[in-house]
Amino acid sequence: MNTDLIPALDAAGLPGPPWLFHILLVFTFFLHLLFMNLTLGGTLMALVAHLRGGGRADHPDSVLAGRLMAVNTYAISLAITTGVAPLLFVQVLFQQFFYSGTILLGWIWFAMLVLLMLGYYAAYLHKAYRGPWLAVSALSFLAIAMIHVAVHLVHVQPERWATFDANALGVLGDPTYWPRLLHFVLAAITFAALVAAWWAVRRARAGDRVELNRSIARTGWRWALWATVLQVADGFLLLGVLPREVLLGVMRGGLPTLGPLTLSILLAIGLLVMLARATDPVEHPGLVSGTLAALTLTVAVMSVTRHQVRVLYLEPATSLFDPTVVPQWGNFALFAVLLALGLATVFWMVRRVVTSPAEGDEAA
Amino acid sequence: MDYPIWDSGLSGGVLMAWVAITHVIVSHFAIGGGLLIVVTETLAIRRADREMRELARRSSLVLILVSTVFGAISGVGIWVVAGLISPGAISALIHAYVWGWAIEWVFFVLEIVAALIYYTTWDRITKQAHVLVGWLYFIGAYLSMVIINGIVTFMLTPGRWLETRAFWDGFFNPTYWPSLVLRTGICVLMAVAFMLWPAFTASPGRRTDLVRYLGWWFLGGALVSYAGYRWWEAVLPDTVTALFLGEAPTLVGLAATRSFALWSLALGLALGVLALLVAPRAARAVTAVALMAAIFAFFGGYERLREGVRKPFLIHSHLFSNGLLVDQIDEINATGLAAHSGWVAAGDPAPEARGRRIFAAQCAACHTLDGYQSITEALPTVADLELVATPSSTGMDRLAYQAECASCHADVAHAEMVEMLPSIEEIRSDPDAIRELNLGMITATVMQLKEMGEEITAFDRSVMFDMRTLERGTMPPFVGSDEEAEALAVYLASLDRTPDAASGDAR
Repeated sequence: MNTDLIPALDAAGLPGPPWLFHILLVFTFFLHLLFMNLTLGGTLMALVAHLRGGGRADHPDSVLAGRLMAVNTYAISLAITTGVAPLLFVQVLFQQFFYSGTILLGWIWFAMLVLLMLGYYAAYLHKAYRGPWLAVSALSFLAIAMIHVAVHLVHVQPERWATFDANALGVLGDPTYWPRLLHFVLAAITFAALVAAWWAVRRARAGDRVELNRSIARTGWRWALWATVLQVADGFLLLGVLPREVLLGVMRGGLPTLGPLTLSILLAIGLLVMLARATDPVEHPGLVSGTLAALTLTVAVMSVTRHQVRVLYLEPATSLFDPTVVPQWGNFALFAVLLALGLATVFWMVRRVVTSPAEGDEAA
Repeated sequence: MDYPIWDSGLSGGVLMAWVAITHVIVSHFAIGGGLLIVVTETLAIRRADREMRELARRSSLVLILVSTVFGAISGVGIWVVAGLISPGAISALIHAYVWGWAIEWVFFVLEIVAALIYYTTWDRITKQAHVLVGWLYFIGAYLSMVIINGIVTFMLTPGRWLETRAFWDGFFNPTYWPSLVLRTGICVLMAVAFMLWPAFTASPGRRTDLVRYLGWWFLGGALVSYAGYRWWEAVLPDTVTALFLGEAPTLVGLAATRSFALWSLALGLALGVLALLVAPRAARAVTAVALMAAIFAFFGGYERLREGVRKPFLIHSHLFSNGLLVDQIDEINATGLAAHSGWVAAGDPAPEARGRRIFAAQCAACHTLDGYQSITEALPTVADLELVATPSSTGMDRLAYQAECASCHADVAHAEMVEMLPSIEEIRSDPDAIRELNLGMITATVMQLKEMGEEITAFDRSVMFDMRTLERGTMPPFVGSDEEAEALAVYLASLDRTPDAASGDAR
């Protein structure tokens, strides 16, 4: 490996121990994934449902598309908001690799900003005008996913930077590129589909347009089932095409690496079993909630595995450097306290809003 | 300077300016808008005033469409662009202030969630709960500015941080409070400029009231902004104010920017008082456009001034805009840049090719080849010297002398310079001799920039440097070995595309 191309560590040192930033990076990335899944999976699914609904407002697929895009009013904003924190922590922990990776992609990385704006405003334009905007939005978010996978694969392979410098698009030929992209897209679709099914089941159980909601719940459930079937196959494929050293690193890592990987495989198989057990989810509300919870747990565990794979990819390079640590514990404590207070305030605010419904002159 | 170089084809500085300008406009509007909207709603409830409520409601749509996404994406955009054009610099800033940014993110989450709820719960929750959400939005948004203001002001006036490297010494630096006051005023001005549009669509009976109501906000915002600006100027060190104040400011362009900014504010204030308070009936769309232009000009002028006086640093007296730390100057001079950066070391070892890589690593953060801050325009060429040496009745020769020679050879008058130069015929018949001459001048300038680095390392590192004492104090020093300095000069000299008079071939 030409280690000369790897920039020096930042001279200022890490303002906290590395483990702290690893935890913060994984935790905030997990939060980001939840909303990213709704944004990407929801928009892709809404596009298909919208086309299948054929413009008939009362068609279950049209209602499903409308609901997914209504959720996305929040989800897109929150995906961006929660994406800021992992972007911050990745710059602290992996600045040498992350900046180099983004620079080698250059305009492609910059295009993410433009696509993000396009995807978001197209989602609003779809609500107001219909037309092609939903497709524009879905394709924008898909393109952003492609960019993120590209940045990831470039930044973790410094030994190939000289090649990427000559041809950045060569990353599309990386054996893991397409299986990795598909892994994220399928997870996003599964998550959005299950959230749609879960909501429809709640509405149906509450007696609201039972048949319509039953139909929507079935559609969401089917999408989740088939996406998970493909996901399991793709997951094993991705594992198989990982560089040998990385795979060996996972296998030799003992409980810390094999534990999360085994757990996520078991969870994926468990998800398949749960999804296959029912054809009419409205009749099994507990199963639906349990499946959504299991999927959320899978996303959390897979976030850990993804991070460990990154660390293993980079291990030959990072082992050359010995970061100095200049901890700012007081500032971290302030952050932790404010984070707790901030989240508590958000929950309190949401609770207050939910418990303060009003109509007519009483309403704001 | 050891990162790969993004060859974007345009100036990184210009790209950053576009993203940053967009962000500051939107983010200040998002904060001021939050305040004005929630105060307006509170007043509407107290007075049972439907028109005021509608004003708050209509404004909140713009707030959410613009701030929750455009503001957020452009904010991320600043990181993205900084990481592309100046990775070492943004890395240093993030390593020093990661917890500041992390805290800002907490407030940002509160701001965004509250904004989304606020907009979508009109007509659906109680007035009290809705106003509460509005206030939480404003608190979250304002506190995010309270944090980021510490980091932004630290970059210009790091204060005692230079000595102690302590987080809070840098955060509560000399310009922290004046800047916070100034930005608070600007937030209000921004919000008024945007809220005038929904106010114009109020019922004819109430339009005048609402415009006047916004006029009082405008007056307050303008006065607070002016006070904050003056205070900011007053706490700047003399070494900084001398760059743009006084009878002979060092940077004349920045002095003009200052005048432009203050006159814009004065004009905006006069127009605001007249059109919004004295004769609100006369306020039209064109009034809002003019006010917006005046505020943007003031705000843009101030930001340009703030960035300009910081030149050539990203963090004053600590980190140059090309990512070079003051602490690295001696080391890189001793070992050479190639030993420091694999991207400079790799590739064709010929001087011109090496020079191109050195240019990319050290100079390209600010200079393009032919666009903004063009390096080719700054360099002497055969054609330039031809112009200097060719007598001209229109004075072109003198202009060329002023542009190409006077800054370095102030003690040599134009006539003397012409005497010293070969004749026009000699220049045309043997342009290579002139190229040699130019290479010598460029090499001398690069070496001068290298020596400047040695002067800088002798400065007292515990206080802000006085860059006026340096010959080229608006530029970072050159760092690297003497061979690398010569390679850079060879590359720069090769940028002269003057065609040979005999063959017409461009070199």
